[in-house]
Amino acid sequence: MTNAIDPVIVAKDLRKKYGDIAAVNGISFEVRRGEVFGMLGPNGAGKTTTVEILEGMRDADSGEAIINGINVKDDPTAVKAMIGVQLQQNAFFDNLKLSEIVDLYAKLYLAKVDPVEVLSRVGLDNRKNAKYAELSGGQKQRLSVAVALVNDPVVLFLDEPTTGLDPQARRQLWELVRKIQAGGSTIVLTTHYMEEAEELCDRIAVVENGEIIALDTPDALIDQLLSTGFKPEKRVREATLDDVFLNLTGRDLRD
Amino acid sequence: MKIYLALTVASLKMYFRNKQALFWALFFPLLIMIIFGMMNFEKYASPNVGIYDAANNDASKALILALGGTSDEELLSVTTGTLDELHHELEFGSSRAVIEIPSNYVIPGEFAEIKVTYDERFQQERAVVSTILEQVTDAAFKEAAQVPDEYRVENSIGVSETFITGQGQGFQAWLVPGVAAMAIMQTGLFTVVFTLVRFKSQGVLRRLKATPIGAAHFLAGQLTTKAIVVVVQTYVLVIVGAIVLGVSVGGGRIGVWLDLTILALLGGALFIAIGLAVSGWAKNEETAAPIANIITMPMLFLSGVFFPLSVMPDWLTRWSQYLPLTYLADGMRAITVEGASIITLGDELIGLGVWIVISFIVATRLFKWE
Repeated sequence: MTNAIDPVIVAKDLRKKYGDIAAVNGISFEVRRGEVFGMLGPNGAGKTTTVEILEGMRDADSGEAIINGINVKDDPTAVKAMIGVQLQQNAFFDNLKLSEIVDLYAKLYLAKVDPVEVLSRVGLDNRKNAKYAELSGGQKQRLSVAVALVNDPVVLFLDEPTTGLDPQARRQLWELVRKIQAGGSTIVLTTHYMEEAEELCDRIAVVENGEIIALDTPDALIDQLLSTGFKPEKRVREATLDDVFLNLTGRDLRD
Repeated sequence: MKIYLALTVASLKMYFRNKQALFWALFFPLLIMIIFGMMNFEKYASPNVGIYDAANNDASKALILALGGTSDEELLSVTTGTLDELHHELEFGSSRAVIEIPSNYVIPGEFAEIKVTYDERFQQERAVVSTILEQVTDAAFKEAAQVPDEYRVENSIGVSETFITGQGQGFQAWLVPGVAAMAIMQTGLFTVVFTLVRFKSQGVLRRLKATPIGAAHFLAGQLTTKAIVVVVQTYVLVIVGAIVLGVSVGGGRIGVWLDLTILALLGGALFIAIGLAVSGWAKNEETAAPIANIITMPMLFLSGVFFPLSVMPDWLTRWSQYLPLTYLADGMRAITVEGASIITLGDELIGLGVWIVISFIVATRLFKWE
């Protein structure tokens, strides 16, 4: 891992408008080295746009995004070279074997890796000769994590990695995220599954209408809610993070 | 450079594993070429002759009409044009004779000499043409000229014959370079459009944008692949044409392969640029397919791929001679079977050049990554 700068991510008052709509409306936070940082929020809250600004995929209208000491706006290529990215909608080439896909991406980063070893980290080494289209949903997601790991990234961005996966595949991916974190990586994860955030994240930012409306550890957020005298609806027992989320962002169905 | 190579190798692998792309790029044109090549369209047809009418009067027009025969019974298949065009067609094309009607046809008291040039290799056609010419002039003269007895046919009209050794190789030689040009168009346009539009709509290009290389490298790798495919394709089609259909390529000149490579790359660049423009324009595969077809289908029939432009009405060829595929097909034909080299091509290179520039400008305007 490259020289350690902590916090590894600094976002300062990021703003981005699409037409009249402010997708990101003054977002600031810091991510510490080695933590799993969760961004929660309903669809259209601005999570993905924020993450894409950090990844150098989109320019912010104003504000600063700094990854490992490098300002993304000044040198997006250098930032892209040291982060790993899993996009919300991932697609890889047809007609290439998994090992060839990993090998190709490694070469794009001029990284020397053993493709089969990378695939084994996500449990896909037994499918190294398969084509992308032959994979199940969970396997596709794990492949895209593998591809994001080829350059031994300082920060790994996972944008809704378990959306559309069945519970088993989802748990398998959680295992993988914990394993990657144990290896010393910093991970930024967006999701709208509360149990996923509770399970994986060290700290959580709740995003709503382009702003962060709460930022703390999952436990602290739940405690804060309970201290307001909150009682869960169904049974009298401790609140879950689902309650925190819905209390903060409202119950209306979005999108 | 290393990245570019990795992308090119990967994209070549993808291409040659894509059975559908290979089918359209290689087997389909080969199939068309061989099936059409085995049909003998000339067998039952009347001989093709070119007529140059220097007189351009009622009598000469009547003569040309008579030589053509009636709709029930065609005598000669007549083409008109300038002397140069007609002689070129006789030497390299499917024409079997050039008939030159003199300007003094038919002026009473003057002796009009009709000059006929034949390809000595086609004696059977020569016999047919000369017999028909004799009968028709005889009849035409008697009908048209109400003249005193002293102006006898033999004193008024004569026919002189010259022979050349043509190099035309018939329909197969027309077909092979035509199909090679068609295949370049199909590869350039369709494979570029379909790969890029699919990659775009699936998000493959977006994923590449997240890497430090950017998508331009990827595009370079893709285009290199298509250039290689275009050259391989041209070689395969021309070589199969030579072996299976017996077409003599470039009169045995070795440089013909280099010339073909250059011309194939030029054609490839042109149609790839058109493909880029279409993939920039089209949002998904459903809209891309009809656009690509609208561009290619008319050219298949209007650019002289399968048949000479001369079989089509003039008002159509006046436009279709400027089509991109016409220039490419003409150029391929000139080099492959008409003994030209790339430096002697004039109109074709200018035409291709202009189209390449236009297409690249349009492509850069229309192309988007997402």
